Amino acid sequence: MTLIKARALVREYQKGQASIRPLDGLDLDVQSGEFLALMGPSGSGKTTLLNCIAGIDTPTSGTLDIDGQDITKLSRSRLATWRASHVGYVFQLYNLVPVLTAYENIELPLLLHPLSRRQRHERVAEALNLVGLEDRHDHFPRQLSGGQEQRVAIARAIVARPPILVADEPTGDLDRDSASRIMGLLRSLNRDLGKTILMVTHDPKTAAFATRTLHLDHGRLVRDRAASGTPGTPGAPGTPPTTDEAGSSPRELPSADARSPRAANFASAPAPAPAATEPPP
Amino acid sequence: MNPLKFLPYILKQVTRHRVRTALTLLGVAAAMFLFTAVHAMHRGVQRTTAASAADTTLVVYRKDRFCPATSALPQDYLSRIERLEGVTSVLPVKIVVTNCRTSLDVVTFRGVPPERFLAERGDQIDFISGTSAQWLRRSDAAILGQTLAARRGLSVGQRFDAAGITVTVAAIIRSDDPQDQNVAYVALDFLQRAARNQQGIVTQFNVKVSNPALLEPVAAQIDDLFAHAQEPTSTYSEKAFMARVAQDVVELVSFARWLGAGCLVAVLALIANVIILSVQSRIAEHAVLQTLGFTGRLVAALVVAEGTILALLGGGLGALAAILVARFGSFALSVEGQSIPITADAPLLLNGLAACAALGILAGLVPAWQASRRPIASCFRSV
Repeated sequence: MTLIKARALVREYQKGQASIRPLDGLDLDVQSGEFLALMGPSGSGKTTLLNCIAGIDTPTSGTLDIDGQDITKLSRSRLATWRASHVGYVFQLYNLVPVLTAYENIELPLLLHPLSRRQRHERVAEALNLVGLEDRHDHFPRQLSGGQEQRVAIARAIVARPPILVADEPTGDLDRDSASRIMGLLRSLNRDLGKTILMVTHDPKTAAFATRTLHLDHGRLVRDRAASGTPGTPGAPGTPPTTDEAGSSPRELPSADARSPRAANFASAPAPAPAATEPPP
Repeated sequence: MNPLKFLPYILKQVTRHRVRTALTLLGVAAAMFLFTAVHAMHRGVQRTTAASAADTTLVVYRKDRFCPATSALPQDYLSRIERLEGVTSVLPVKIVVTNCRTSLDVVTFRGVPPERFLAERGDQIDFISGTSAQWLRRSDAAILGQTLAARRGLSVGQRFDAAGITVTVAAIIRSDDPQDQNVAYVALDFLQRAARNQQGIVTQFNVKVSNPALLEPVAAQIDDLFAHAQEPTSTYSEKAFMARVAQDVVELVSFARWLGAGCLVAVLALIANVIILSVQSRIAEHAVLQTLGFTGRLVAALVVAEGTILALLGGGLGALAAILVARFGSFALSVEGQSIPITADAPLLLNGLAACAALGILAGLVPAWQASRRPIASCFRSV
């Protein structure tokens, strides 16, 4: 099933006198449950594409159908409401709110959904458990390592159960071991919970975790290739994560048919959609 | 969506940025303390000098005299004033003060005929300790206004000395009349003897008329009656008399209201500055919130709410402190033997809080608009 369909996508903006086109008529189809790596040189349009799909940037022209909805037609506030239930975003620099604990950071997106305090607590506890940080729930970001911060960020991205996860160089600021664990977690979310993941990376080893790799250049797709790694090869699909630097490790998720009800929750439909704050345009 | 769900988030932003919050609260509290104190003085002046349609009291004073030490009228004017049509009662009053100038700690003795005073004013005063009988029993007994007793820490049975006059506290009273709160009522003949042997001399007459409409005609009749006497009179309504006596204080307090307005501007600038700095330092955080699905309007509301909470907390602390100081300090501005109590009460606190809430909202509007309108993707590029 095609989850994301982009047609003739253009993003153009002015920088001084110059006109810049990070996306230049890009076409793309992404099937539900795919794990995409977006690669290409700096300025090729990877992050712009990711941002457009995440609904935090708006294409200048073209259509972008996600889950049957052309999100380019949505108003600012309806787009925000759409983001809350459809997309989780993982940043390179984690972007956790520094004055909130891990628990509170993860709870933030749930405030937008019609959930009781108890339901929110259950969801956050499940997400913390899923990323292996239940014992760090009351730690502030400054008290966590980079890898742990990124796992909290991933928990925050999935806690509202969005079908799509976008990650902008999620391992770009991490050491090799932490990066490997984060990629293992993302791969598990894709393989076991069915999340559709789009990830920007410059690192071929990181891209090897994906099931499909797209190369962009000058705002266009120049190569589209399914991954061909051998399970067991470091960096290739199927490589298990190892214990992290703090002694706790992300959960290796059970296979889809043996999935626990708790973990399976994150694969199900997104949290109840938040109420729209304004009528459709 | 229940907006209260976001209150813990806002409170965490306030309480976990401790230094910023503490400094902001300190600044806002200091400004609101001053604002509330100025308004407490202004309310005291208003209560004391603003005329109302129900006023029926005239004050007869010595013409061209402005101080109780120089206003001397023969006590026998009493019977001639009493005979005028429309006059219902006359109370001769001898005033002795410890200090003629404006001060926060003046003791004012008012010598009055005790039986006449109790007959005219007895129903307007509450004895909170002691009794009128105790006052009548001793010649040197005094009834103290609640404010004076609190300020000097006096209770029934104690003796105290001021302006060379020693009295015994017979009772402490509470009254709605500002002039009763900061005085010591003593027997007229006792005060006349104690104050350099001025028997037969009073400072003023308080004249009650039967109808507010008679204030001006009766005042004119009194002044005409004594126009050619050795001690001519000037007669005013009580509030007009207070406004005349306390003119300097009224002007000073009116000017001080500008200081109060300045305090509000300072609060506005302080909160706006804090919120602008806060928004600028949290560009990425607000972009993250919007990425998570917070609408621009919701982010704006969070910013405004944070400013409002800071303003309310700081303003509440400052206003409450001012009210406590005014209430427990029992201050009153005394001028020429007349008293202007500094009145701070719950409505003043509510006014202060309302002003702070309005300022907090106003201060947060522009930064909130900025925070909500920035393109999300460019926020991440700019940090």
